Amino acid sequence: MTVVEIGEPQNELTQRQRWSHYFVLLYALVAVVIGINLRDAALNASAVYTNVEAGIRAQYPQRWLIDTDGDYIFRVRDMTRIGFKTTIQVATRPIARNTTVRNLVDSLTLDRSQTLAAYGVINTEPFMLPNEVEATAMTYTYVQSELNPYLQSLPTVIEGLDILTVEGDQAIIITFLSEVSQYEQTLPIFERFLGTLEF
Amino acid sequence: MNKRSPFLNVFSVRWNFSVGLVVLLVLVTLGTAAEPVHSQAALDLDRIQRATVFVMQARSVDDDLIITCIGSGTLVSRDGLLLTNAHNTVPNANCPGDVLIIGLTVFPGEPPIPRFRAEVIQADPGLDLALLRITRQVDGRLLPVGSLGLPFVELGNSDEVPLDETLTIAGYPGIGDDPVTLVTETVRGFTAEPSGGSKSWIKTGGSILGTMSGGGAYDQAGRLIGIPTTAPITRASPEAACLPLQDTNSDGLIDTTDSCVPIGGVINVLRPSNFARPLLRAATLGLDLAIVTPTRAPARAAAPPSFSRLFFASSERDGMPLDVVQRMPTGTTSVYLFFDYDNMTPETVYELRVTVDGIPRDVFGLSPVRWSGGTSGLWHIGGSADQPVWPNGTYIFTLFIDGISAAAPIVLLIGGGQDPSPQFSDILFGNNIDANGNLTGNGLVVGTGGIVYAKFLARSMTNGLRWTAVWYFQGAEVFRTPPETVWTDGVAETKVISVENPGGLLPGVYRLELYIEDRLSATSDFTVAGAQLSSATRIFSDLHFTTAASDAEARTAPPISSYSSGVETIYAVFDWEQIAPGTPWTMRWTVDGESFYQQTMPWGAAESGENFLVRLTSPGGISDGTYTVELLMAGRRFDAIVAAPIGIGQLPIDRFAEAGGIPLSGQILDAQSRSGIAGVTFVLVSEDFNASEFTEQWDQEQVYALAVTDRSGRFQLDRPLQPGAPYSVVIIAEGYLPIAADGIVVAADDDPVELEVYLTRG
Repeated sequence: MTVVEIGEPQNELTQRQRWSHYFVLLYALVAVVIGINLRDAALNASAVYTNVEAGIRAQYPQRWLIDTDGDYIFRVRDMTRIGFKTTIQVATRPIARNTTVRNLVDSLTLDRSQTLAAYGVINTEPFMLPNEVEATAMTYTYVQSELNPYLQSLPTVIEGLDILTVEGDQAIIITFLSEVSQYEQTLPIFERFLGTLEF
Repeated sequence: MNKRSPFLNVFSVRWNFSVGLVVLLVLVTLGTAAEPVHSQAALDLDRIQRATVFVMQARSVDDDLIITCIGSGTLVSRDGLLLTNAHNTVPNANCPGDVLIIGLTVFPGEPPIPRFRAEVIQADPGLDLALLRITRQVDGRLLPVGSLGLPFVELGNSDEVPLDETLTIAGYPGIGDDPVTLVTETVRGFTAEPSGGSKSWIKTGGSILGTMSGGGAYDQAGRLIGIPTTAPITRASPEAACLPLQDTNSDGLIDTTDSCVPIGGVINVLRPSNFARPLLRAATLGLDLAIVTPTRAPARAAAPPSFSRLFFASSERDGMPLDVVQRMPTGTTSVYLFFDYDNMTPETVYELRVTVDGIPRDVFGLSPVRWSGGTSGLWHIGGSADQPVWPNGTYIFTLFIDGISAAAPIVLLIGGGQDPSPQFSDILFGNNIDANGNLTGNGLVVGTGGIVYAKFLARSMTNGLRWTAVWYFQGAEVFRTPPETVWTDGVAETKVISVENPGGLLPGVYRLELYIEDRLSATSDFTVAGAQLSSATRIFSDLHFTTAASDAEARTAPPISSYSSGVETIYAVFDWEQIAPGTPWTMRWTVDGESFYQQTMPWGAAESGENFLVRLTSPGGISDGTYTVELLMAGRRFDAIVAAPIGIGQLPIDRFAEAGGIPLSGQILDAQSRSGIAGVTFVLVSEDFNASEFTEQWDQEQVYALAVTDRSGRFQLDRPLQPGAPYSVVIIAEGYLPIAADGIVVAADDDPVELEVYLTRG
């Protein structure tokens, strides 16, 4: 008995074709990696802020608006963000020799409760700065409302994080503010900032 | 109406990202400019209306705020300084509130909306001016410093306002339920008072409602040149106008048993804005001045305020009448009503009503206003500068205090020719008289000595005419010429008389009255104070600036001629001699020639002494500038120094002080959905930089103004654009392609610019 197999002829890939496929996949992978790297480089690009007088140096996200004309050493804001502009700020305030971080927390609470609506401290806990300086982290929330009386905006809930540390006769207050819904997403930016902060 | 936008010729757009992408989108629909209510190049009515605020004084009662007084006000700085009246803001018997609520016109054509709270930071109760600063949100929360960017107006020079100038008056005509209203008025004259000179008041018609008091009057260039002012008379007066607004007694009804809000009558005078300049200057520099040396007002028996000895004069000099008249000729433009006052306070409200041939004429009177003089003395209301002609007729002048007639009406006849009656006039005083018959001294203040000479003019006198001279000291008669005294100098045009006390004339305020046939013909007050030198009077001496750690040390600290920047306290120190208690004196402080403090007050220290101490402070450091102190008596300067530069010796430039320019606002929309995008950042880059430079550095110092859109995509820059300056614009929002543009220029005659910008998702 003769068995006849009927079917399409098999097109075996040549070795060259196989390698071509491998290379295409490899190129695509490399392109994705490069793209991711480029994106990360763009998103994580930083600018350097140096203040010799205050003895502070830090890298902050590039294209954030820097402002040194307030009651802080410097402040940077992400002006591209819709709604509340995510903010990082470094400020100092003079303290007495026997002032503790607890006193500082109370003082900030008193001050902010005069100006910020629904201000409340969520928690305070010890915090170790990347440069091995001991600090205290204070998390809080408040409601931000439009100050321009001619514009109408809904109030926004803001979550803030203060890193408080005492350096000689002054307290250093490193602040991160973000809309509460974006807080977890944007916190890594602040953590990178802390990693570069020198004082 | 569409108009050519300054944004049409813009786009040299550069946007550099580190990844090398150049992404830009130019999809801007431009060109619709907001139409002001009435389009005028110089008179920006939209800005005036937005800068006009509604002021409510309220009293805290348990958890409620009871409105006690209302009025209007005007924003005069972007950070929330506002100018208004003192009578409805500074707590007093009529307005006892402790909270000031500020309402703004948020939507044109609609009533004001309470947005903020304010505090009084400078006030002059007599001039009825107060400068408030917005410090809190309406719920009581403090505003962060520098967080406000409100529309405001600049003060003009009210001395330059001519007769018949057309003015625009802005204010709230109701009790908070009406929109801001603009009224056109004409300058009908000027009213003189001793406290403010020949232009103490600008007279207008009577079409301004009392609740518009505290608002603004603007010239054709849109500058604030006056504050419509009337003070509600005391609630006890039968003429008091008062409206109950709230159920203050909690009986479930709002009726006459509830506390009411005084609303005043109609306004026919404006307080010139130049009177507010010292308050504004002191407020913007944060200056606080205090007299450290203990002073005490002379004790007086409690008595109601009163007016007496009313008479008319055709002219005045340094607050003293040059003559006394009963009638005046046709074509008269200069009329002064003089009278004595006693027991007056800055809270006393006085008023002048005038009838002409029996018909009330507001234009010749003065609506109820606060008292701006001292406790007692000689006062006048009138005017000669830029006055219209007074028509012929019989004028009856009646003075009122708190709505009640305060003295018998006095009649003045105007018409016919010059009065030919014998007349004395132009009294001057001095300690000495030279060989030519000239007095030495300054005419109204003479040093303590044994004798005082008075020189006066005589007209149409004939020998044998009986005349009398009566001398007073501190209100009590001390000498009178014998009753049989008759004129023996023939047609002489001047005469000199004197009063003498061998033991020396006591320091204080004196008065001379001259009568012809029992008719008062001339009168003048003069002050005896200080030591009489050969040709001058020394009252104040050794005036100098100094610095010290405490008030006590400042009295003996050496003089200092300059200060370094940042000094928080400086002192002025001087000696004085022979000043009777209660004698009016004036202290004026200026910085770079601009007054920030001027106060006339009764002398309250010892008669003579050393190291009178005045302290000037500013908690954040006194601003750089050249500071000057002047000491005056009866309008004469007796000592002054111009030698206290601080820092660079001149005031720093306030880059936000310019109110002029073209306002820019608009809306940013999604190009696809055509709905507004909230939270978009609109950056106007300063003329010194372009968009590319800004997007490389992202530095706030390069920003001229910045705005973020609200929930409907609307934005509004808090600084107006300056004509001719080339700005750049950067618009950014996450999820949308950014826009950048250079070379944006507005012209001086542009209307407010309203933009409509479409962003494309990307």
